[in-house]
Amino acid sequence: MLTVKNFKKKYHQHEVLKGIDMTIEKGDVVALLGPSGSGKTTFLRGLAFLTPGDSGNIIFDDQKIDIQSATANDIKQLRQKMGFVFQNFNLFANKTALQNVEEGLVIGHKIPKAEAKQIAQEALKKVGLLEFSDHFPSQLSGGQAQRVGIARAAALNPEIILLDEPTSALDPELVADVLQVIKQLADEGKTMIVVTHEMAFARDVADKVVFMDRGLVVEQNEPAEFFDHPKSPRLKEFLSRISAASVANNSFEYEKSSVN
Amino acid sequence: MNTTFLIHTFWLSISGIPLTILITGAALLLGLPLGFGLAWIKIRKIKVLYPLAVAYTSLIRATPMVLLILLFYSTLPSFLNVIINKHFHLGIKVFDINPVIYAIIVFALIAIANLSEVFRSAILTIDPGQKEAALMVGLSPTQIYRRIIIPQALVSAIPNIGNLTLNILKGTSLAFMMAVPEITAVAKTAASYTYNYTEAYIDIFVIYFILGAILQVIFKFLERYLGRHKLKRTA
Repeated sequence: MLTVKNFKKKYHQHEVLKGIDMTIEKGDVVALLGPSGSGKTTFLRGLAFLTPGDSGNIIFDDQKIDIQSATANDIKQLRQKMGFVFQNFNLFANKTALQNVEEGLVIGHKIPKAEAKQIAQEALKKVGLLEFSDHFPSQLSGGQAQRVGIARAAALNPEIILLDEPTSALDPELVADVLQVIKQLADEGKTMIVVTHEMAFARDVADKVVFMDRGLVVEQNEPAEFFDHPKSPRLKEFLSRISAASVANNSFEYEKSSVN
Repeated sequence: MNTTFLIHTFWLSISGIPLTILITGAALLLGLPLGFGLAWIKIRKIKVLYPLAVAYTSLIRATPMVLLILLFYSTLPSFLNVIINKHFHLGIKVFDINPVIYAIIVFALIAIANLSEVFRSAILTIDPGQKEAALMVGLSPTQIYRRIIIPQALVSAIPNIGNLTLNILKGTSLAFMMAVPEITAVAKTAASYTYNYTEAYIDIFVIYFILGAILQVIFKFLERYLGRHKLKRTA
């Protein structure tokens, strides 16, 4: 359904993505792992042209885009097939939870108001927040805000949902609720790419796990194989650091050691 | 202290209030849309217009209000006269134009420059993440500004708009130099007959204080009303 070829991106002189190739089939849940600075988020944002790549191709169903010569219209058409969930939620601060979900339906996709309201309510209900419809983002907890963010993306029924570290900004006790909602979407057969640090979640929910390091895809595999029999030395090292960290139950150590 | 004069002049000065409000209000009404336009030019860095906008803003903001008024009032009418009558022979009596018009123009020029900075900084405080989220749900850049960014920017701009309005309100007291019969001018004229300047100044003080207090209340209300979405957790 979605094929990415030789995706490259430079910041000034620093080559963040050195040519990423990736294929995603309909219904796939792809977990994107890697140390920070590996380019996962840059890649995800590049797919949606939020920070456009420098070169490469994106083929989405029958739409073929050369990144270098993409027009505003190409990008618009591509984005219509995508939902995006942000690390910092990025809810519209001046709109209620319900209005946040309705906005894209009514204004972006020109769905009649009454119908949009119904869809939005349905979406909020799915993430367990129907009774928070009239709350403004400032009145929601991080976990609630992120679930509204997910509802906002999912309500438009995009062909793929891109999630950029959806639980990284949350307090630990709020993570589970959000992961649960994402898992629910996966169970419904939604195609998703999730950049995450939640290993258990990746193992449990993903159909394919992709490991990125220093701007390259180093290894990709189905979760069991990926975690139990890593092949490349870099992945082995990454996984051992994480398991050491989780044994020591010290996620701070993990964060620190993964910076280099 | 001449109490009779104090009270008499107080009522007399009140007759200057409408002009004070007219000048402040008109300057603000002109300043809001034009200031916003200028802010837009500065944020989008629109070609050619951008350096002009920046130059205009820093020029006006760096100049004392009094100086602008003096400069404007002493040169503009003659300048207009040369252009309109000597070049185009339109025969308009420039020197008969009501000085209130000049006052409004001067204060509008000041308001535009300052409001453009107020709007610019207010728009820049809105996290660009919301813009990205809006793009992803299919809003056009114009819709994003109109529906997401401007409503929020307006709220954070309100206190600064309030400040500026207050400054202009107080600044209109300088319009007496343009022979505009606003509050200060009326009181000073009355005092000049009898040399009861202290009483006149007390009157002026009281009136500006009342007007300023009312303005502050209005802007506090606006801030709270428009910032409803910022209310902290109620449940």
